Amino acid sequence: MTTPRERLASARRAFGLAASVRGVGVAGASALAVLLTATLVDALVGMPMPLRRLILPLAVAAGGAALIAEALRRIRPALRASDEALALWFEQRLPSLRYALVTAVDPQVASVPPSIMREVEETPLEPEVRRATRRLLLQPLALLAVVTLALLAAPDGAIARVTAPRAGDALARAGEASRAARDPLATIVVRVVPPGYTGLGATSIDDPSSVTALAGSRIVVEGRGDGVTALLESREIAPAQRDGTWRIAFDVPPRAAGLRLRGPARERVLVVESYADSVPVARLDAPTRDSVLRSARGAVALRADLRDDHGLADAAFEYIVSSGAGETYTFRSGRVGARAFAAGAREGRIEGTLLLDTLRLAPGDLIHLRALARDRNDVSGPGQGASETRTIRIARADEYDSVSVDPMPPTEPEKNALSQRMILLMTTELRDRAPRIGSAAVERESRRLAVEQTKLRKRVGEVIFVRLSEDQGEHAHFAGDGHEHGAEKPLDPDQVLAAAQRAANVDPTRQLEGEGDETPVVAINKPLLEAYNHMWRASTELETANPAGAIPWMQRAIEALQRARAAERIYLRGRPPRVVVDLAKVRGTGREKSAPPAREARAPLDADRAARLARFDALLGSIAADPLAAADSLLLLRLSLPGSDRAAAQALDAAADAVRRGGDVTAALQRARRSLAGAPVRQDGLSPWGR
Amino acid sequence: MPDFTFATAQYDSGDWDSAPMVPANIIDSVARYTGIDVASVGAIVPLGSRDLFKYPLVYLTGHLPVRFSDAERSTLKEFCARGGLLFIDDHNHDVDGQFHRTAWEEVARAVGPLKDLPNDHALFKAFFRFPDGPPTTSHELNGWGDNLVHKHLQAVLEGDRIAILYSSKDYSSEWNYHPDNKRFLSVDNTKFGVNLVVYALSR
Repeated sequence: MTTPRERLASARRAFGLAASVRGVGVAGASALAVLLTATLVDALVGMPMPLRRLILPLAVAAGGAALIAEALRRIRPALRASDEALALWFEQRLPSLRYALVTAVDPQVASVPPSIMREVEETPLEPEVRRATRRLLLQPLALLAVVTLALLAAPDGAIARVTAPRAGDALARAGEASRAARDPLATIVVRVVPPGYTGLGATSIDDPSSVTALAGSRIVVEGRGDGVTALLESREIAPAQRDGTWRIAFDVPPRAAGLRLRGPARERVLVVESYADSVPVARLDAPTRDSVLRSARGAVALRADLRDDHGLADAAFEYIVSSGAGETYTFRSGRVGARAFAAGAREGRIEGTLLLDTLRLAPGDLIHLRALARDRNDVSGPGQGASETRTIRIARADEYDSVSVDPMPPTEPEKNALSQRMILLMTTELRDRAPRIGSAAVERESRRLAVEQTKLRKRVGEVIFVRLSEDQGEHAHFAGDGHEHGAEKPLDPDQVLAAAQRAANVDPTRQLEGEGDETPVVAINKPLLEAYNHMWRASTELETANPAGAIPWMQRAIEALQRARAAERIYLRGRPPRVVVDLAKVRGTGREKSAPPAREARAPLDADRAARLARFDALLGSIAADPLAAADSLLLLRLSLPGSDRAAAQALDAAADAVRRGGDVTAALQRARRSLAGAPVRQDGLSPWGR
Repeated sequence: MPDFTFATAQYDSGDWDSAPMVPANIIDSVARYTGIDVASVGAIVPLGSRDLFKYPLVYLTGHLPVRFSDAERSTLKEFCARGGLLFIDDHNHDVDGQFHRTAWEEVARAVGPLKDLPNDHALFKAFFRFPDGPPTTSHELNGWGDNLVHKHLQAVLEGDRIAILYSSKDYSSEWNYHPDNKRFLSVDNTKFGVNLVVYALSR
């Protein structure tokens, strides 16, 4: 026998279950409604990828919010409803009970009369429960069914665009087929398949204006519809047609190129550019510096770090031993520490040991060490990178026990000056001693000093002779050299010295002055010639036993020798070239009567840049009228950029994309123009070269 | 005898002949732009020689330290007093260089201290107009030497006339090319040399 309370508990469970199912249905319907709405919006306007990525979280959030709302509003009240409340709910819908159910479950009533209990037992509650449950579930489940059906009716991939958006799904957008029927170039997808050695998967790009791919990549361009032809750098590429989709495949060209796609309605340009695989980078960590070893024994630890952008293949240390000296060298080379890397290894390290004892090194030998690494590039490579080279030298035995000093004698004028000072000192001493030692001794010692002075004078004369002879040699002529030899004959040493003596004896009391027509060698010798002359006067005085009279000449000789030292100059260039300007030619007054060409200012170095700016400015006017054509013009302008101007290329790509998408393109165009114009150059510090 | 002969000073110290093409280049410009009766070849004149007085403008350059002898110093002083103009150009374009320091010392000893020449001086309008003062050289702009763009030339004035003009701008390198190669330049960079000649002849 079921009590009234047990019957109410059963109804409570049924209501709770129904409310829960309704909550789930409402939540599902809400989430699916969000997806349906996004799919419709995407079909109409084409949502960008970042926005599409938000749709699924938004749908889940909507479903969650609806479930919470249902739980608060229906599930929780249904499960927590009291017996009294449930009894009143049934009394309201079953008036025949006449409050019998309420009375039966009233806790204030200690003993329920049997007539009331009987009346309750005879009244079925379940039909009301089923009716209420049906009402509760019908609306949300119907809504859920409608939304689900609508989503199922969407084209393949349209829902995936909002639930699992990915690059390359532009062609799956709802309504794409009808758009492609009008313009098969309306939407394109580019798939880039990198070369196999990289181990990288293919990537897709939706509706791009330009594509940059690793050299050796395969480019696949796809679109819906038909009737498309393609031209890549004047080479026609036939498209493949399948399932209402056209497809063009080609290898990325080595230089930036424009792929011209021609459809029934219009043309479209796609810029394709390649970049090269970088060679591996090797850094030799050990040995850290060049070294000199006393002996060729022991081991040298080797260590190198390696990096590559797409994967290392192998690496090793390479050594070259060079032996020998002078012009005779022999070389030996080898490798140690070789290592192969697994596919996909972008970083690595090699270590090894170089055993010097095994290299049969001799003193003076050089070992050149470096690390070599190769990548897996099988398209244009393999690329090989090398570290900097370290050098290890084996010292020679005599390097540590001697110091190399190249002795250099004092210069000739300096030696003469020292000797002259000594003679001067001795003569001064003799002059001071003369009153004490007597005239005979003075005469004897004075003549001895005169002999010394004459010897010294002869040595100075030899220096002059050698130099003058060299000067003569510089200007030596030979038969048939075209010079007017005339009476020129080589002078013998006596003649040279006599000439020098004549030159010096013109007026021994004054310094010789430059006459402007002698060679630099003669000019340098003038102080020596003066000294030579003063020495002659000093020796003459000494021979007449007059040391006091000799002293002033000796002092002048020293002074002249000092000047000779100071005048030692070496002009490496020799004589400056004698350039004669043809004034008549410069002034156009010579025999050359034709009018000289006008000197025109060279075009500024940035003429190309100015031309590109002019093109950019010209195409601005066409954006409003035909944005797609303007976007193509921007891409063609981008192709005219020098390869190094990456910033301008990227700005023009972005501008072309913006123009193709529509909307406000001001900012993108501003950036593109600034990039085209280049960085502003401050010119106020540069003055023009006159006017 | 022509009205003007471009003279290069030969001094005992240093490498006075380090810019051998400058004379021909200036002679070419003087002939090209002016009607001055100019000698077709430059002269080399020892700084201590009285031949110095034959030339109204004398050009002195070099890289190495400059030390004038007593004769050179006294001749230079007289040359300036007589109305000559000595144009000294530092071939090192380096204010800390040996040439710069020693040349300034020697000029100060011989004639007087060098001072900045205003950029609106008559020299800059003597033939061509240089409204911003002395033209810059590629060596300055490339940051060679002392990495400075020198705003002024320096001068010792005799009254209101320039007696010694000093440049750290290295016109010696800028102008040291054969005049036949001038045709490869869009703008002749030796025009300032014409101003020097005209100024020296007319003041």
